[in-house]
Amino acid sequence: MIQNTDKTISLSCDFSYNFASFSLGAEYFIAVSTLYITVVMIVLTRQVWCLNLQKFLSEYISLILIMACCLIINDNVSLSHEITLNNSIINDSIGYWSKLTICFFASIFFLIIADTLNGQKLVSFEYLLLLLLAVEGLLILCSSNDLLTSYLAIELASFSSYILSGFRKDSIHSAEAGLKYFIVGSISSAFLLFGISFIYACSGSIVFSDLADLFCTKIIYLPYYSEYLAHYDKILVQYQGVAIDDAEAFNNITSKSAQALFQQVSWAHTYGIHWQVVIINQILAEANDQTKYVYPVIAYLNDFEKNSFGLVIVGIIAIIFSVFIKLALAPFHTWSLDVYEGSPTNSTFFFAVLTKLSFFIFLIRFCYVSMLSFHEEWQFYSTWVALFSAFVGSFGGLRQRKLKTLLAYSSTSHMGYALLALSCVSLIGIQVLFFYLIVYMIASVNIWYINILLRVKNPVYKSKFSKELGDFSLLHKSNPALAFSLAITMFSIAGLPPLVGFLAKFGVFLVLVKEKFYFVSAIAVFCSVVSTFYYIKIIKILYFENVLVGKLYYPIKTNKVWFISIFTFILLFLFINPNLLFLLIYKIVFDSFV
Amino acid sequence: MFGDINYTFLFVSALLVACSLMSVTRSSMIYSLVFLILVFISASLLLLLLESEFLALLFVTIYVGAISTLFLFSVMFLDFKMLEQRRNVMKYVPLSLTIGFVLLAPLICEINNFFPTIPKNSLYVDNYFDWYDLIDSTTDIEAIGLVLYSHFILHILVVGLILLSVLFGVVHLMNNTNKNSNKQQILFKQLSKTPSSRFSYKKFSKILKINDTKYG
Repeated sequence: MIQNTDKTISLSCDFSYNFASFSLGAEYFIAVSTLYITVVMIVLTRQVWCLNLQKFLSEYISLILIMACCLIINDNVSLSHEITLNNSIINDSIGYWSKLTICFFASIFFLIIADTLNGQKLVSFEYLLLLLLAVEGLLILCSSNDLLTSYLAIELASFSSYILSGFRKDSIHSAEAGLKYFIVGSISSAFLLFGISFIYACSGSIVFSDLADLFCTKIIYLPYYSEYLAHYDKILVQYQGVAIDDAEAFNNITSKSAQALFQQVSWAHTYGIHWQVVIINQILAEANDQTKYVYPVIAYLNDFEKNSFGLVIVGIIAIIFSVFIKLALAPFHTWSLDVYEGSPTNSTFFFAVLTKLSFFIFLIRFCYVSMLSFHEEWQFYSTWVALFSAFVGSFGGLRQRKLKTLLAYSSTSHMGYALLALSCVSLIGIQVLFFYLIVYMIASVNIWYINILLRVKNPVYKSKFSKELGDFSLLHKSNPALAFSLAITMFSIAGLPPLVGFLAKFGVFLVLVKEKFYFVSAIAVFCSVVSTFYYIKIIKILYFENVLVGKLYYPIKTNKVWFISIFTFILLFLFINPNLLFLLIYKIVFDSFV
Repeated sequence: MFGDINYTFLFVSALLVACSLMSVTRSSMIYSLVFLILVFISASLLLLLLESEFLALLFVTIYVGAISTLFLFSVMFLDFKMLEQRRNVMKYVPLSLTIGFVLLAPLICEINNFFPTIPKNSLYVDNYFDWYDLIDSTTDIEAIGLVLYSHFILHILVVGLILLSVLFGVVHLMNNTNKNSNKQQILFKQLSKTPSSRFSYKKFSKILKINDTKYG
């Protein structure tokens, strides 16, 4: 028995039953607090009929999410690169920072919507709990390491979202939006399960890291010398797209990891497997001695009998298409227009701002970690879908007069640019994707907050929150500061130079050019120019509309607007000093992939 | 050709194909539903023959017990025009056959590539008997029960949260916060509603001076 104890301890460490590797503290906290709030609110509302605690409850949930942020930060396991809970959760830097970002923005979101809930007739406490459950699903999705956990997390987020979009029982638009979202979302989930079943049928595993091992996706680091690059028999090393033949280079390799790589390659070669070694990009990291730098090299199987992996390719395509449906990318975006317009404004705020990041994290984990060997297959589809959604998003919004539908088109085009950054297979692409998404979140929080704050005094439809673009006319006369910050945000989203949105879009185009997608980048720049039209149209309506009488708005309390000031300042400040964000993202990507 | 294959398997799969054809081609909604139920039952029989009892039981409980009942329930509410549908069926046959072929052909191709031959010792071939099954057998349900609450504890919890969110939705839908509008059954209103006369109810109410905008 005594001899066996060591074994059992090590076993329990491996299968992560012990408390040391309990890695989902924030998620458990959020789930438990959901249950607690449910019980308390049921007791309270049973005592006092129709007790309206929405504002208090929303601020309370915001506090809960801030505490979840603290839990994520203080978690020892979360940056340990361990895979816990029976291979279902990975604790790496990408998951950590994305969870932190989502938690932070969700807490701000709850603070923002606290005052608007009664005005939008969202008076039952289930609304906030559903939002909290959706955030929970997004958090789990960020750190999931297998397809089943990802599926369940996506379902948790989606089911809550369906109910959120159809929450107004008395509004026919809301019910329509909920039904549409439900049907399209179920089709997307069916595609996801379809793809998962194919991948499981071929490989016998659904764990990302296992798939990466199986399909021989490895990231190995070569020492960097400015002149030499390795070439050995069947190995093709591409340096900035140019294949270099240099037989002597192989002899110069001194680093152990590089030698291991070439041993593996020669082993694979003897078994008739052809390897292709491609230098992905030049993240320069200082090695032990100062003169040498390290190149990340992604080695993957090129001709690993791809005929026999046809089913895997079908599975990959089904999975990424289902995620594209969830992200409302272009051929699958038509649901988003009606859903964004019809659902309550707070729900639309949630769908447009918070849900996007974690689906991209899932795509990064799936495409970059496990399915990198098949990058030619998914790259084709993702590039074209991204390009098409940039096109549709910019041309569809031109004649749009409803604000929420316009923002839906805008979000489609932005997700297109983000997917373009993802679909050039490089680590810089992931960095740019992160930068783009964070800037997008900041700018959209600002826009949606202004949209929620400005309530037009409408004598007929008192609870109407949807706006047309004309409702902003002459805002600069009635509220110049708000009009200024809205104009700043619009300029940033359009991508004009003195603001950080310019850097985000510029980064995407730079990466595309760097990876030799010249045609794609040209079309993307063209679409971006076209989409500038409708952003500037809003600014024109704000400042130069040729009307004498503007709209009347409900008054805004001063203490509500400091978020807007902060985010507008951030949009300006990050242009002046983008290194703050760049370095952080560099660190994230470097930690998780290197 | 079928010398080695279990004849029960063959019979049940033939039954499945026949029932699915019948369920597509029947003109009456009820008949096609009954054939659909037969399809589900034969599919669960196939799963039973493949020794996955848990999936078979799930098929019967979910598809036959819940979904078909839901279908029947909703069919009762809807008044379908059968004859027009019959006329329209032939119009869509070429298109549907094309789409089906386009979707099916690459799949069959890939599956033939991936699973080239039926192995001799596969489960649905008769010439193989696993003696270990008799001595030390773990049924599907037992095995799933063993791992479900230990290995998949996170997944169980997340599924519980999904059910909780759906429960919130149902409670919110059914919860009537407006105390003043007491719902009562008015037989006249109910009987005067048919699909054709539903939208003319407003006129009746105007004629009869019933001040009711809710059902207009």
